[in-house]
Amino acid sequence: MVTDIKTRLLGQDVSFPVDESRLAYWLVVMRLIVGWWFLHAGLDKFLAWPFDASWFVGGAAAQTTLGPILVLFSDGILLSFTNVMVPLGQTLIGLGLIVGAFTRLAAFFGAFLMTFFYFVNGETGDWSHGVITGDLLGLLIFAMIATLGAGRVLGIDAYLARTDFVKDHPRLRHFIG
Amino acid sequence: MTQLTTAERIALYGGGGLLLIGTLGIGLLEILAGAPHPVSGEGQIVHETLVPLTVRSSIMLLGLLLWGAYAVASVAREPAVDTSI
Repeated sequence: MVTDIKTRLLGQDVSFPVDESRLAYWLVVMRLIVGWWFLHAGLDKFLAWPFDASWFVGGAAAQTTLGPILVLFSDGILLSFTNVMVPLGQTLIGLGLIVGAFTRLAAFFGAFLMTFFYFVNGETGDWSHGVITGDLLGLLIFAMIATLGAGRVLGIDAYLARTDFVKDHPRLRHFIG
Repeated sequence: MTQLTTAERIALYGGGGLLLIGTLGIGLLEILAGAPHPVSGEGQIVHETLVPLTVRSSIMLLGLLLWGAYAVASVAREPAVDTSI
């Protein structure tokens, strides 16, 4: 089946047809692979506990564009917070994407984390072949998953969207797929 | 058919535009007349670039911030009617 997406962009009619089954297939594939990327990154840190993010938020990161913000988290209680939140966040984002639960929320925070990785890794060497890196592409895929609400395809969000609680509080649909 | 509001246009077109300027626009400029790589493999900032790295990074960061602001602000409004449930 093909659906016509009817819309305008930059003042022009840019309506276009989309093959629905291919789109659904592609959303699930993207969600699972990107989800495993983050779930693995999070679990890997828990399995090798303790995790120490001081090399990232201090050290070389201090000289980058985001340095003034990141150095605030380079010692004391904010470093302890970062040491827990990075692996916990990555694990929850990965789980959320894989099972399709709170997909938009998970993808938003995935993009949020990738923003830090993109600028710090980039400005400390990754941009030696140009500024389009895997980190930026990861960020864009998170943005795409959040935009398309991929959790409704073979995901828990399809069930959540039908619950009375979500129907009574429609703004919650901003967080689920 | 959904229509973008003025604020959404500013956030989406502005954010996307700044990101495109930072990546494609300045990238093309550097290829033609500057240094194609803004940092070395060791992470040293290349100073022969036409546009300083901090300026380029700030342009891209501002673009991403506009996107983020759009995402956060969109939570405040009622979502579009869902006809599938």
